[in-house]
Amino acid sequence: MDARSSSSASLESAAKPQQHRIFDEHGEVARDSPWIIRTYAGHSSPEASNELYRSNLQKGQTGLSIAFDLPTQCGYDSDNPIARPETGKVGVPINSLDDFHVLFEGIPIEKMNTSMTINGTAMWLLSLYVALARERGIDTKLLKGTTQNDLIKEYLARGTYIFPPEASLRIIAEMYEFCLGEIPRWNASNICSYHLQEAGATPAQELAFALVNAIGLLDVIKERGRFDHESFERVVGRISFFVNAGIRFVEEMCKMRAFREMWEEITRERYGVKNPKYRIFRYGVQVNSLGLTESQPENNAWRILLEALGVTLSRSARCRALQLPAWNEALSLPRPWDQQWSLRLQQILAYETDLLEYPDLFDGNPAIRSKVDDLKASATKEIETILAMGGVKEAIESGYMKSALVGSMASRMAAINSGEQIVVGVNKWTEGIPSPLLSGSDGGLFKVESTAAEDTLASLERTRATRDPDRVAKALRALKQAARDGESMMEPSIECALARVTTGEWGKALREVFGEYRPATGVDGQRLGLEDDRVERLRKRLAKLADRIGHRPRIVVGKPGLDGHSNGAEVIAVSARHVGFDVVYSGIRLSPEEIVLSAVEEGADVIGASVLSGSHVELAEQIMEGLERHGARERVQVIFGGIIPQTDFEALRDKGVRRIFTPADYELIDIMESIAGVIEEANS
Amino acid sequence: MTSETLGAIVERALRGEKHATSRLVSLFEDRRESAVPGRAEVLALLNKHRSGPGAAVLGITGTPGSGKSSLLARLVPTMLASRPSLSIAVLAVDPSSEISGGALLGDRTRMQLARDEPRLFFRSQASATELGGLGPTTFQVAGLLARLFQCVLVETVGIGQSEADVRNLADRTYLIFQPLGGDEIQFLKAGIMETPDAFVLNKCDDPSAEKSYHQLRAGLRLGRVDGAGTEPPIYKTSAKSGLGIDELASDLLDVVDAGPRRPVLEREEFWLKRWMKAEWGRVGLRFLEEHTINSAALLRSAGGLDGAQRALSRSLVEHLHRCQT
Repeated sequence: MDARSSSSASLESAAKPQQHRIFDEHGEVARDSPWIIRTYAGHSSPEASNELYRSNLQKGQTGLSIAFDLPTQCGYDSDNPIARPETGKVGVPINSLDDFHVLFEGIPIEKMNTSMTINGTAMWLLSLYVALARERGIDTKLLKGTTQNDLIKEYLARGTYIFPPEASLRIIAEMYEFCLGEIPRWNASNICSYHLQEAGATPAQELAFALVNAIGLLDVIKERGRFDHESFERVVGRISFFVNAGIRFVEEMCKMRAFREMWEEITRERYGVKNPKYRIFRYGVQVNSLGLTESQPENNAWRILLEALGVTLSRSARCRALQLPAWNEALSLPRPWDQQWSLRLQQILAYETDLLEYPDLFDGNPAIRSKVDDLKASATKEIETILAMGGVKEAIESGYMKSALVGSMASRMAAINSGEQIVVGVNKWTEGIPSPLLSGSDGGLFKVESTAAEDTLASLERTRATRDPDRVAKALRALKQAARDGESMMEPSIECALARVTTGEWGKALREVFGEYRPATGVDGQRLGLEDDRVERLRKRLAKLADRIGHRPRIVVGKPGLDGHSNGAEVIAVSARHVGFDVVYSGIRLSPEEIVLSAVEEGADVIGASVLSGSHVELAEQIMEGLERHGARERVQVIFGGIIPQTDFEALRDKGVRRIFTPADYELIDIMESIAGVIEEANS
Repeated sequence: MTSETLGAIVERALRGEKHATSRLVSLFEDRRESAVPGRAEVLALLNKHRSGPGAAVLGITGTPGSGKSSLLARLVPTMLASRPSLSIAVLAVDPSSEISGGALLGDRTRMQLARDEPRLFFRSQASATELGGLGPTTFQVAGLLARLFQCVLVETVGIGQSEADVRNLADRTYLIFQPLGGDEIQFLKAGIMETPDAFVLNKCDDPSAEKSYHQLRAGLRLGRVDGAGTEPPIYKTSAKSGLGIDELASDLLDVVDAGPRRPVLEREEFWLKRWMKAEWGRVGLRFLEEHTINSAALLRSAGGLDGAQRALSRSLVEHLHRCQT
């Protein structure tokens, strides 16, 4: 090869389009900037969470993702009896603007992209954030971030709704209306498909349900008619999504490509959006936490890596923001080190590898194209079915979406139980060397400091003592007035925040106007597959027991605490009636004292408490104390069901809990017979 | 329960202890023969403590979906707030499954707001095998509660047959209904309009309510020309907005102030007959008629419903034996 030909070859290659490169607007070879790197975090108290955020930012995290505790999510103050056992448990407690000042101390919110996982009280938390900016003298136009604010998936899967659907949709719409002018870079809500996948959705269902949810929201906003077409286009442009990424990462990548294409079509065809910028599918991701395993938890590190690839590999369907769980999340809340480990994964992927140097790697690939088309076809069919039903609200109220999800979940569980779907370390290759990661002095687990709740309560007391009561009363009156008159509640909410109204007061004021949503409990019309000789035998056994004790055996079923996953309790209530118990079903969100009072007044033989939030030991203690106070400890037996680790069984039994049921006890008839046994033992 | 503890339980119940009250209610619901002497003892103890007829019993009936429970959840706190010394017992009756015998008792959920109130006691009952309406022990339990509280509210699904039950239980009955279509108004006029003492048109935040109100008003003029010529009141309420709650609460409070209207004995006669029919069917009713048994006298001599039931059963069995031989 001579000099001439070599130089001509290089000239030739320079003239050719370099399809493996990315160019900026000046024609220079470029590298994409990375997605927003976040960690979902928050615990114990505003002080502790602030410390955690600052250290995460120092480590190179580029956005904040705030986890709130359940009382904050449900609109209660930390000192409300129903809130006490949950304060600071799954996130940070926020009672007033004073707490926000602490939470964001030393953090320049005008430079932050802040995501808040908040729904029923989203308007309140956004008001606090705006009030914080105003008190700091920051232009609110600079604020960037997201309030999750997707109530559809709360009704379907997550359970932290407060108000009925109509009021919820109005609140979301008012937030969009406020944000467009005042905080144009804020995502007033996130359409969440994340929780649908956790509730069992297949990729096609995830696509369909999320898109139909977005359609429902945009239709409401359009109907309110507060925007001209140009502004409405900008609202469409503000719709963003929050997506799950599972372990089948090739399919997940195809799902994201399908999302992008379908959103493009919907915004163009259904809403006539002309500006292509506003038709882009923008999404953030939390990779799947449900699939993380309790056994051999170290394997989760690899699962998280692979799941992250699904939403980053394809440039044209890459996420805007990514948050990764920690390897031990199936065991407890992660420690700062665990979160740092996940953060490092993101940094290596974004900065160390060459991923961000390439254009899309999959455009034109026939296998990918075909898979995307396949997903789109199933999803489109599902969307048409739901729209024909009247839309997302109707599909929720009729239970259509819920039962579709339950069906998918059941087949998923069946596939894992039968070994058809392999989960390494769970149903295959279960033998292994114990993980040294779990052998540290803390057992590899995070423990919430027990004094954290006390600090929170003290600061709440301080706020109440130092604020101007007249301003508070006036602000709450104005809020309720706006709610009743159909006026926007945003500015009155911000005034509430500035006046140091508390989260519980805000929630109470609007509960008084809108009422609290009590969905059909799902306890009627459920089919149980409980129709055999054992049911007949148990009915006779209960009838005999009734003759002996003078009344039909009676149980109170309820969910103490704030977590809204009520399916388990409902199935138990329905089954119990089916076999012949008298059942007092008290529903969700009860304080232990309310459950005790139900049992005492109703003359119940048994309290069946269902707990999934991890607070079972505290709740058992409170229930037992309550029974003791009423002098009913002997008369009422207590059983517990829910996500309860074996290691807590002894503590519960010590407190006097007679039976403990976990997801391993899936045979309903076994549970029913066991409850009958508890009553027989107590009356023998 | 020994007699000694019964005395202590009664005392605690009179002091407002909920568990004690609950145990007494359970005794009055107890289907065992062994519970009968206990009941007599409790009644004697209570009579010693408080003579007189006890509190008024108010019947709240309505079709499913009319919003009875939500309305009660508004009414009860309103009544309690306006009378600082008033105490209220609510007895809510729900239907039982005919197949399993079990029942789902869900009304507590909606009464949430007032649950931690010491002056309020809430108890659910299953209708057991009765056709809708009230359970077999509702009358006796209401009688017990009327001696412990100043007001007893009995809430039940009110359709057809059970109307008469409620009427013979309560001093005043309220029929709750929601804004309806014309056909349903016709149904109302034909059927259950004759028993309620007052009507409550709930969900009046609904614009269609006004029409229902006028239809009902007109229907009542045609359908109820009772001697006194008084038309029963119709209250317009909304559990959602609070509309009309104060007016309705003051109607209820008037009844509470006036005390029971019908003598207990008169009501017991009805319940004895009802029990006879449930327990012995047509044979039992014929026995009552043919032997012209004076129920009032029987109730008096047997010391109340429990005793009268036992006496009747005994003489019926003897009668049947005689018929055989």
